Amino acid sequence: MTNVYIKLILAAVKSKMEYKFTFGFLVFAILVFYMGQLGVILVIMSKFKAINGWTLGEMAFLYGLLVFSQGITFLVFNALNHFERLIIQGEFDRILIRPLNPLMQVLCSGLEVSSLAHFIIGVTAIIFGSKSAGLEWSFGKLIFLAIAIGGAVLILGGIRIIISAVAFWTIRNRALVHIFVYSSKEFILYPVSIYNPWVQWFLTFIFPLAFVNFYPAGYFLQKSGQFMFHPVLQFMTPVVGFIIFTLSLLLWYYGINRYQSTGS
Amino acid sequence: MDILKTYLKFISKSFQKEFAYRIEFFMGILNGLLFIFIFTSLWKAIYSSPVSASLGSAFNVHTIISYAVFAMILKISFTMDDELTIQRVRTGDIAMFLIKPFNYFLMNLSECIGQSLFHFFVRGIPLIVLSITIFNINLPADKETYLLFIPSAILGYTIFFIVNFIIGLLSFWFIEVFSFQLMKYGMFVLFSGGMLPIDFFPDAMQPLISFLPFKYTLYVPTSIFINHFSRDLIFSQILMQLVWVISLYLISIIMWKAAEKKLVIQGG
Repeated sequence: MTNVYIKLILAAVKSKMEYKFTFGFLVFAILVFYMGQLGVILVIMSKFKAINGWTLGEMAFLYGLLVFSQGITFLVFNALNHFERLIIQGEFDRILIRPLNPLMQVLCSGLEVSSLAHFIIGVTAIIFGSKSAGLEWSFGKLIFLAIAIGGAVLILGGIRIIISAVAFWTIRNRALVHIFVYSSKEFILYPVSIYNPWVQWFLTFIFPLAFVNFYPAGYFLQKSGQFMFHPVLQFMTPVVGFIIFTLSLLLWYYGINRYQSTGS
Repeated sequence: MDILKTYLKFISKSFQKEFAYRIEFFMGILNGLLFIFIFTSLWKAIYSSPVSASLGSAFNVHTIISYAVFAMILKISFTMDDELTIQRVRTGDIAMFLIKPFNYFLMNLSECIGQSLFHFFVRGIPLIVLSITIFNINLPADKETYLLFIPSAILGYTIFFIVNFIIGLLSFWFIEVFSFQLMKYGMFVLFSGGMLPIDFFPDAMQPLISFLPFKYTLYVPTSIFINHFSRDLIFSQILMQLVWVISLYLISIIMWKAAEKKLVIQGG
């Protein structure tokens, strides 16, 4: 069974790498794209020195955590961003009649190898950030970093699955993908503590993006004093990731049973 | 007069098409509010520190928030469906436009103006109303500001349009232009002034930024709108916008001619 998934993945990778130049250029283009986003933060930091007490290194660390977990999410879950296309064109019906898990088929055949660019930027930002913020690494901290990133990926991936599952009812979900997958991440480019209490509450308990980078960064950079809520939240990313991901799978399987093809 | 009617038709057609997507309408407003909210929170946090406030003394907390709101609204109103030309080239439909009795550049421009006007009415205006009530900012009171802002915004949009149009034309030569779009988007985010005013860039970078077309799309019209520019600066910046429109237009014409030739060689 796993063999089939591996073949699907290899096919996806091959199709992406078919034009070597195009692929290399795409990775470069993604780097430029992120430089634009990072550039905004760098310009602000060079002008103002600090945002709500967060220095350049600390902002870089926060950004690195986001981009790195975004990279893994992009690698694994990217196919879901175009999920409505599979449904509208009837492609999803073909997936359903195969004796394989539909979600795994969608994910494996859409593996996005150009996320290499995210890892380059993410790792650079984390290393630069932790150096200039004077963060001292220990074995335990590295382990927690890995676990926290895992949890962050479960949160971001779970959100994508939830938004995709909505398409079982509505067919179209492009606008939702746009706002909940792409735009919402703008919130956590900056420390969540700059927002008013309602939004901090929202980003913690309803749409828990704050756990992707703000709360774990609070642990590494010793900023849990800035939390509006209990400092224990700095360790909660894996737990929240597990909850969101489980909920997303439940919704996905509930939706798939209710799903009626568009007939096209 | 008939020619004008043809293009007006394109404007109204693409306006109607946009109206079909009603869910996207609310999501669009929500999306705009989200960005406005993030940036107003950010500037409030920065300007609440006296040290930071003195470092960014070209603005104060009030003017920077007006800047952030209006730049974002302008950015949201400035839309262009890059995919239109790219799809037409990919499917070969572009050949159909070559035999029609009108200029493809003007036709595409009209389509995109229709789209943008739609976005301005259904997203821009509600966002202006919401922002005025939520963030306590004011529209300019004097007529003159509007008289200077409107031409500058039109020129800004035209620059934005031609840059996208040129990237669309690249699809005559490249199988995949997504990478070009991505790079353009990254540069646009950073250098257009949609996210932060160009004043905040280090002095060393200012000449480079003035040499790129991006700041003339959003930064210049927004600065005029919030009264951030002196009178002399306004005129010289509008002149620069005009220079950019003309030079980019010439580039696009040259590329279009070359593309036409290539299309003939390939046999469509």
